[in-house]
Amino acid sequence: MTATPGTPKDVFLASVRRSLGRSAGTPSSPYPALLQDLSQLHAQETETRTRNKANLPQLLYQLAEAAGLSGWNVHRAVNPENAISYITELATERGVEQIVRSEQPVFTQIPLDAALKDAGIVSVTVATDDSNSREALRTAIIGSGMGITGADYAVAETGSVVILPRQGLSRLVSVVPPIHVAIVTAQDLVATLDDVFLLRRLDYHRNGGEMGSYLNFITGPSRTADIEQTLVVGVHGPKEVHMVLLG
Amino acid sequence: MPEVKTRDFFPASRVSILDPQLRLALSRVGSGFDSARRERIEEVSPEVWEEWREEARSIKVHTLDNLDYYLELLHDNVTKAGGHVHFAKDAAEANAIVAHIAEANQVRIVTKGKSMVSEELALNDVLEDMGVEVYETDLGEYIIQLAKETPSHLVAPALHKSKDQVAQLLSDHLGVPYTDDIETMARIAREALRDKFLSADMGISGANFLVAETGTLVIITNEGNGRLCTSAPRIHVGITGMEKVIPSLQDLAVFLRLLPRSATGQRLTSYVTMVTGPRRTLDEDGPEQFHLVIVDNGRSKMLADPQLREALYCIRCGACLNICPVYQKVGGHAYGWVYPGPIGAIVSPMLVGLKQAKDLPQASSLCGACREVCPVKINLPRMLLQLRQKLAESPEPEEKAATFSHKMLAKAYAALMGHPKLLSLSRKLGRIAQKPMQSNGRIGQIGRSSLPGISGWTRSRDLPSLPVKSFHQIWQQGLRQPPNTPAGQSRDTGN
Repeated sequence: MTATPGTPKDVFLASVRRSLGRSAGTPSSPYPALLQDLSQLHAQETETRTRNKANLPQLLYQLAEAAGLSGWNVHRAVNPENAISYITELATERGVEQIVRSEQPVFTQIPLDAALKDAGIVSVTVATDDSNSREALRTAIIGSGMGITGADYAVAETGSVVILPRQGLSRLVSVVPPIHVAIVTAQDLVATLDDVFLLRRLDYHRNGGEMGSYLNFITGPSRTADIEQTLVVGVHGPKEVHMVLLG
Repeated sequence: MPEVKTRDFFPASRVSILDPQLRLALSRVGSGFDSARRERIEEVSPEVWEEWREEARSIKVHTLDNLDYYLELLHDNVTKAGGHVHFAKDAAEANAIVAHIAEANQVRIVTKGKSMVSEELALNDVLEDMGVEVYETDLGEYIIQLAKETPSHLVAPALHKSKDQVAQLLSDHLGVPYTDDIETMARIAREALRDKFLSADMGISGANFLVAETGTLVIITNEGNGRLCTSAPRIHVGITGMEKVIPSLQDLAVFLRLLPRSATGQRLTSYVTMVTGPRRTLDEDGPEQFHLVIVDNGRSKMLADPQLREALYCIRCGACLNICPVYQKVGGHAYGWVYPGPIGAIVSPMLVGLKQAKDLPQASSLCGACREVCPVKINLPRMLLQLRQKLAESPEPEEKAATFSHKMLAKAYAALMGHPKLLSLSRKLGRIAQKPMQSNGRIGQIGRSSLPGISGWTRSRDLPSLPVKSFHQIWQQGLRQPPNTPAGQSRDTGN
């Protein structure tokens, strides 16, 4: 009698079990994080949000400092008008003829398009309704001198902007153009990496095991030190990144 | 698998040591990566750093001890997100899986992010033999692809190349005017690869971590090529070793704190990219297909050996290379296979076979620096010793590392050390016998030829000569004197 060969997965896992000298089943000791239920995660979330809210001024300061150290140009905008003029002036100074921006709620708070138009700069918005425009969108992104996005989270610990690409938010807007501008508001702010992962886990479990296809932590410009360990900024991604911090 | 040259460790290291350009290149790993790593540890405080290491290690211990469970959980969650998981027991299976995906989807152009496992598989050769164009896109990997070489460091694959060599490669292969300005060279690579990213059918990446809880592949990068490889083409294939899985998304935080600091001395890399399945229907872009290839390729042998299992905790930061006195002298290529340095000296023999790589566990002074810098506290010196023991005790003649003369020398040494009178007598004789070979207190050569029997040692270094008085004698005569007598007066050891 020959043994049933099984699927490649079965064969693979059987070999791992043989190596470990263990049979199929749950881990030898329970793993607390994986046993947390939604209500526990939720309680943790409430606690985290309350703590971060109480520390807001300090976290904003910490974010700006960490972001600066990692190579972001940080601009603390006093109001939406100031954010708009900063971005418009930057685009003008760099000779940008076209920008591409995502479709996110922050652009209602900070309506950029009119100011850019007045400065003679074309503004392309990542389309949300036209399913045939993927190629057109890509061409527009490649042809843009600046990509502008909001942030889903901003991490004070690391100076990172976290972006979750989805409808209205292309993966490429923040990586293809040579300049990336991220608009961060106080409500995006979290203290630590742990906070981001807690919030993602909560969303994942709340949405029945769906957390979206992609997530990026962006911490400064694209860089390399692959030739003689000499730092060069701007290889395949943006050479210049600006964090416009509102709050 | 790529050509295994681990048998040539000794001759290859002799060549490397004499290469002045390589020596200059290697001097940068200590002054660059390692000093930045130290600064980061001081910044967070050594106590906090130690807590992080403990936490990370305990996650790895638990995951590897229950690896089958977490691989299955990972499989289920990747599948639920719309991705495909493939399990490959060896390089041939892994290559066949990727070749099949490429063929079924009429793939013509592949862009690749940095992946050490794909080096292990020699995947590029397989794809190129099918007529697929493969472009390495990490700048260091791109350089060595042009040079038709292999990586010499886990993090900085083209570390061994000087800027002049890179300039020549770019000029020869791309027809651009020769320039050795590093910033300009990076721009040339950006321009050369930009079109490839956008016209590629398939992007291949490695993985730094795989999160079982959510079915997420995590890559940690600086250049942005990893983001482009996983965003622009219509197919994304992630290839990685089975040890990369961690249980929960929450576990990532500590690894994101440890890995960049240990690897390049950065607080965090420019990008951390997390992929969970293919593009969703409403997403603006991203690949239509996501495949994850999980590779064993000898790892289950390490898993089965309780003494060597912890080599699978490695997160490939390269800190043990940067601190290793052997790696710093011989460089990565001398190790003869994909993984160099102290961790390579353990992993390579396990993956390519002990008898092929029996010299690698000897490539260590057992100084222990690798263990001290390891972010997951892998006890590398212990494993190197255990591999040496395996080799010494192996019944297979081909695996035996010790030659007959080594064994005789070891026996003679043991006999001498066990008999003080014999030791003292031989010391007296030795002091007379060493006279013709002595210069400046060292024993080097007789005339111009190396010493017979121990030329392996004296070819590149001198032995200290026997002192006029032994420590034993000094102890008896001098150090026992009352503390107010300057002991130094009798500490003259001659020469």
